[in-house]
Amino acid sequence: MVRLGNPKNVFWEAFLIAVIVFVFGLFMGLAIENSRIQDVNEYYENSEISLVDVLALNNVASLGDTSCDVLISSSLAFADRIFIESKELDDIDGANKISGNIEMIHRKYDLLRTLLWISSTKTLEQCGEEFSVVVYLYHRKDASVNERATQNVWSKILQNLKEKKGSKIVLIPISVDSELSSLDAMLSRYNVESYPSVIINGHVLTEVASVEDLEMYLDKDPVLGDILRLN
Amino acid sequence: MDLLTIVYLIYTFVSIYFLAFYTILFLGHRERMLESPKVTKEYSLSMVISCYNEEKSIRKVVESLLKSEYPIKKIIIVDDCSTDGSWKLIQEYAKRYDKILAVQTPKNTGNAAGAKNYGAKFVNTELIGFTDADSYPDENSINNMIGHFDDSKVGAVTSLVLAENKEKFLEKVQAIEYKMIVFTRRLLSFVDGVHVTPGPLAIYRKSAFDKVGGFDRKNLTEDIEITWHLVKEGYVVRMSSTARVFTIVPNKIKVWFNQRIRWNIGGIQTILKYKRYFGTNKVGMLGMFILPFFIFNWLLGLFGIFVLAYRVGRTIFIRYISTALSIQSQAAIITFGDINMTPSILVFFGIATIIMNLFLIGLALAYAREEGKKDHILNIVFYMFFYLLAYPIILIVSFFKFLTGKTSWGTK
Repeated sequence: MVRLGNPKNVFWEAFLIAVIVFVFGLFMGLAIENSRIQDVNEYYENSEISLVDVLALNNVASLGDTSCDVLISSSLAFADRIFIESKELDDIDGANKISGNIEMIHRKYDLLRTLLWISSTKTLEQCGEEFSVVVYLYHRKDASVNERATQNVWSKILQNLKEKKGSKIVLIPISVDSELSSLDAMLSRYNVESYPSVIINGHVLTEVASVEDLEMYLDKDPVLGDILRLN
Repeated sequence: MDLLTIVYLIYTFVSIYFLAFYTILFLGHRERMLESPKVTKEYSLSMVISCYNEEKSIRKVVESLLKSEYPIKKIIIVDDCSTDGSWKLIQEYAKRYDKILAVQTPKNTGNAAGAKNYGAKFVNTELIGFTDADSYPDENSINNMIGHFDDSKVGAVTSLVLAENKEKFLEKVQAIEYKMIVFTRRLLSFVDGVHVTPGPLAIYRKSAFDKVGGFDRKNLTEDIEITWHLVKEGYVVRMSSTARVFTIVPNKIKVWFNQRIRWNIGGIQTILKYKRYFGTNKVGMLGMFILPFFIFNWLLGLFGIFVLAYRVGRTIFIRYISTALSIQSQAAIITFGDINMTPSILVFFGIATIIMNLFLIGLALAYAREEGKKDHILNIVFYMFFYLLAYPIILIVSFFKFLTGKTSWGTK
């Protein structure tokens, strides 16, 4: 240890060491956070390609050259993919404390999910009762304690529902605070005013319901009428 | 970056600072940690024992002083109108030993300062020492303290206070706490930052003691107040790391709690008394270090406990509502997905701080180790993660009691 003569210099020495250790830690933290963001960006780019592929497939289907099976399976695969990625994104969001770059990625993903919602709705219109679209709308930021608690329960219930129904449902969680005009248009179309809300085949649910209750909505007539009002 | 993250980062920085501070002090002075100056001059010394209802322990205290390697001229035992058999025991000792003087206060003084000041009236030696009636100095303790008085600036020398009783869990945790305290106090002594001369064993230069007017009877921690007063008057306070004294620590939560409340209220009284010296260099380390260090530690603790209470309270509330809703909707109450497996930078900082703290605790336990006695790792963990959390809570209660005027001498 280098002594600076006066023993009371220890106050400054300690300060200097604390600054060095702290700044080093901050830089390490920033590096880790940025590497996570980079990973998410790569996921996003791949997801973006997949979505454009799904949209293109929808256009091909409108020419009458593609079967519903292909359309549904591509929508499902894409929905499953961004569902997993959204969970990872939420984890990273919770862990990224010093870099604010994650906000833009959230918005981009919310846009992808909104596009998937619109596309899935169109597929539902074309292919009828083959599958159901479940959209989960929640507040990512500024949720009250009650909202946060309700969202925790909703996400568990919907995950259970997805595990139970598998390829029968397209589950799309979308955060409503990304300020996207396309999303706002969809929300006003369904008159969604409170959050969290779940839209199952056009039915808007605001109260927490059990998996069994939700299954009733899925097993009913697909209620295409409600959804097709979109078009 | 959100506000809580900023708060956590500030706390992290402060933790790193203090850990670096103590580590530098330790590394720079490790060879002097267990060093005590030799006795070059035989100062006349009187020891004062203040006693109130201590018939179970007073005998052992007197025997400890009688066995002292250093020649004590007079042992003055002050009975503060005990209601047990203490006074009778004290008188018996006075009859058996010429150097023991038994005195009794005209009426109960209500605090240790009163009895100590009363005993000090009978002292006419160069040095005056005090020991509590439930604290047992080692035979060589006083010997190891005396050499410090060769420096004319030294007004008081304090000792290394350890827990005597270590049977019950609360006692074991306090034993760790006492070791941490003596270790950090020893380190602070290298920058003249000793802020208390604890009651179990402290020796004062009699002229300095008289100059500050003895102990402040209005203060609940007269041992803190007199130390600050001495520093204010330009004296240096030293700590002898080889002067061990073993004190009986509370073994009941209520007694422990009351003791800590008293310590904190005394601390508040002392801060208020000397607040005008905050940040000034007119009174040496009192204004530049002791006062800011004391206040800063308290503020950190208080703010930290509020942040923690907010976080824990919010989590519990969310968990409560979630559980109620989960039961209502027949969903799983806890799932694996609830756990975020992606660690944040705060987690890394937290782990690093814990490791550094463990290192410091390890050094402290090694420094104050007792032959054949080891501290259990679980007690150390409890001390680190739970026991220390009680500090700010006690401080809040102390503030409340202080503001409402409930300031009385609870226990030792």
